Amino acid sequence: MKRRDFLKFIGIGGVGAGAGFVLGKVSKPPGAKLIPYLIPPEDIVPGVATWYASACTQCGAGCGTLVRVMEGRAKKIEGNPAHPVNRGGLCAMGQSSVQALYNPDRITKPLKRKGPRGSGDYTEITWDEALKTLAENLTELKSKGNSDKLHLLTSPLSGTLDKLVREFVSAFGSTNYSHYGLFQRKNLAFANLSAMGTASVPHYDIENTKYLLSFGADFSSTWVSPVNYSNGYGKMRQGAGERGKLVQVEPRLSLTGANADEWVPAKPGTEALLALAIANTIVEKGLAKDGGAWRGVLSRYKAKDVASICDVSVERIEAIAVEFAHTRPSLAIAGDSVSSYENGIAGAIAVNILNQVAGNIGVTVIPNGDDLGGGRRVDFSKKISTLIAAANADKVKALIVYGANPVFTTPKAAKLEDALSKVPFIASFSSFMDETTAQADLILPAHTSLEDWGDDFPDPGVGAPVASIIQPAVGPVFETKSLGDIFIELAKAVGGNAAGKITAPNFAEYLKSSWKELYSRNREMAAGTLGFEDFWNKTLQNGGWWGPPRKRTATVSARASEHLTGGPARFEGEEGQYPFYLIPYAQTAYMDGRGANLPWLQELPDPMTSVVWGTWVEINPKTAEKLGLKEGDMVNVESPFGKISAPVYLYPGIRPDTVAVPIGQGHSHYGRYAKGRGANPIEILPYNEDPRSGEAALNSTRVRITRGGSGERMVKMEGSTKELGRGIVQTVSTSEFKRMKKEGV
Amino acid sequence: MKKLILYAVVGGIAFIIGYFVNYQLFSDRAPVQPINFSHKIHAGDNQIQCQYCHIYAERSRVSGVPNVKRCMGCHQIIKTDSPEIQKVASYWDKKEPIPWVKVYNLPDHVYFPHKRHVRAGLDCKNCHGDVATMARIEKVSSLQMGWCLSCHSKKEVKNGSDCWTCHK
Ligand code: SF4
Repeated sequence: MKRRDFLKFIGIGGVGAGAGFVLGKVSKPPGAKLIPYLIPPEDIVPGVATWYASACTQCGAGCGTLVRVMEGRAKKIEGNPAHPVNRGGLCAMGQSSVQALYNPDRITKPLKRKGPRGSGDYTEITWDEALKTLAENLTELKSKGNSDKLHLLTSPLSGTLDKLVREFVSAFGSTNYSHYGLFQRKNLAFANLSAMGTASVPHYDIENTKYLLSFGADFSSTWVSPVNYSNGYGKMRQGAGERGKLVQVEPRLSLTGANADEWVPAKPGTEALLALAIANTIVEKGLAKDGGAWRGVLSRYKAKDVASICDVSVERIEAIAVEFAHTRPSLAIAGDSVSSYENGIAGAIAVNILNQVAGNIGVTVIPNGDDLGGGRRVDFSKKISTLIAAANADKVKALIVYGANPVFTTPKAAKLEDALSKVPFIASFSSFMDETTAQADLILPAHTSLEDWGDDFPDPGVGAPVASIIQPAVGPVFETKSLGDIFIELAKAVGGNAAGKITAPNFAEYLKSSWKELYSRNREMAAGTLGFEDFWNKTLQNGGWWGPPRKRTATVSARASEHLTGGPARFEGEEGQYPFYLIPYAQTAYMDGRGANLPWLQELPDPMTSVVWGTWVEINPKTAEKLGLKEGDMVNVESPFGKISAPVYLYPGIRPDTVAVPIGQGHSHYGRYAKGRGANPIEILPYNEDPRSGEAALNSTRVRITRGGSGERMVKMEGSTKELGRGIVQTVSTSEFKRMKKEGV
Repeated sequence: MKKLILYAVVGGIAFIIGYFVNYQLFSDRAPVQPINFSHKIHAGDNQIQCQYCHIYAERSRVSGVPNVKRCMGCHQIIKTDSPEIQKVASYWDKKEPIPWVKVYNLPDHVYFPHKRHVRAGLDCKNCHGDVATMARIEKVSSLQMGWCLSCHSKKEVKNGSDCWTCHK
């Protein structure tokens, strides 16, 4: 090597190393900071989790939770293993409630509307101003003698909060406090009221059932109390004793249906007839435990007459009837496919009768008694239609909304938005800009359940008295207020009767004194405690109080049969033009749409289709072939009331004359994760509800499918639904399995 | 042409060496802190126990940076005329925490509990060196995985070389 080259190499090497060194230096992140506490909080050890027992409020089931809190931040939520409703389980929505707490789209401060209604254009104001504005509006109402023109619309609140709101409304001089939700199952409650005397869903003892006949109750995913039922179902299938059998009657196979031993895809709208035909067969064959009273009524529903209407063979109806009556104990539950019609109550009553003749009431159907007096009250006179009619008649001068999102969950045909535009003043207490809140003139954002106090008296119960406590696991993340405190402060600001009636300094105190009353009323609670304070501390530690099971029974009153109908349910949309039944269903993650703003739930693959972040239309492959549609093709789903577009998902688990669309997407507001995604099938429904209960008739529409429309591509996790001969899922028949078990294979 | 490639290769290798020399040897082992705190005065001259200030070491994953109230507990009276203490006091008056610079930093995928090590009777010195002689705290261990493991195997820690013990 030449000397010159050598020097060149040295030079290059030096420059290279220097450059590397300098780059290393500048690219190095600055030292992380260690920020100590100024004054250490006594109950926090950094790095060590504190668990708070509380209850989930994402749906009405009331599961007990344990919230893992580190350094004052909620990190994870688990089911409370000691809680009798969920026994340690927690569904996806419950798990995701931390994302509601930290949601970037939360309303962090009180807001006053700036732009036109629905524009979402607001200015931030202080709490003082917000409460003052609201109170002024209310006092003005009062001074003009219009107290009764204040309407309150909330999600089905229960317990002490419900009591407080009731107290506020009545002290103010109004009677218009109503609960609203898409899946309130009011039909079921009404049926139980007329049949068994309690307006609530009974406790279904699935765990001890040996033959479960479910009429479209998707109880392992969204129906009423899914965590409780799933737990019972697991024990029914794999617990001690003989494995129970599940038969699912529904036009579209739900997650629960996919678990069933038998799927009975009866024709939509005929499920009630099927239930009655099964009951009649039981009575006719002399298998009824309690048939006498029903013989006359049921004789109108002969298997041979209804078989062709229901599209279920006579043999099958008889086989189900015999097995249902013979297998002890059995249980029939009235889910959405039997009760989501204009005459949904009839379906729910039919199932009650079926349980009565098979002798299941008091055995697997345990009527609820509101033991502790805090349960959810169902008021059948308060419907969304009542509110709309009142608004149209200028009888709503001020509306306060919390937790309910009727603009999203009411069909466009109801013209709710028009009605709301006639309401001069709307306030919302929501911490999320949902479609209804976007109509509000004033928003006073309440805490999420992880920041707030509350209690819950689960309904349906578990055949035992249960009272859960909701306690703040973390301090408020934003400038929101406890919902109870908003009402208490409002009562003070409004003055008069309301201020005289509600005197508690804050909701935490109000709650505690309400529990003190409960405690003094209830001897079981008092047993084993050293006075109320001791009881209260224990309750906070455990997440609530639950007592020993109570056996209850009832007899289905013969009068209930007056609600039965002779024929199948009525559908909107004439068959020639609209050939398909539409099933809009509650999806595991979004439920009635409330879950769509949480990314965890958006990215959770649907259990049946594996689709994420969108809406899809389930169509039977045979139907699709006839229509010339492939999976992923965009189609319009059109009813006489409107149309939506979504991609096709080929689903063999649906009747060829039926299509299904999950509810939950298609938001026009509700934060960055929900807004402008997918389509909302409720939009194209007629405005039908059962006139007696007010429950929406979701399944009573026919639609047609046409190619076209615009929308997002369908994203799904599964590659193919076919095994392609690879034998991935090995199966044996039940009888084969029994033989194997006997022989000890 | 061939020469050019050769130059590039030599330059490249030198660059990498330079980069790593900086990273490994010239890392900020003893960063300047917002307050010129001396462990030598506290732990050395005055023989204050580690856990008097690092109060969580025995109870938690983290040993705990002393809270400002703890500093002021003594310095309300002690050495109030020192400009450094006055700095502490001004943080306290402003009700602001002191933004110390982290010296020992573990990546997020490592689970290191102080608690277990302290309860096993390990002296703080083993990892943090003789802080009683340090006027400004200085990092003395590499905190590399090999360094952890060599101690785990020397002390025959149960499951000490199991992946899941530290990476959970
Ligand atoms: S079922 Fe309802 S209450 Fe229970 S965890 Fe799920 S969302 Fe919460």
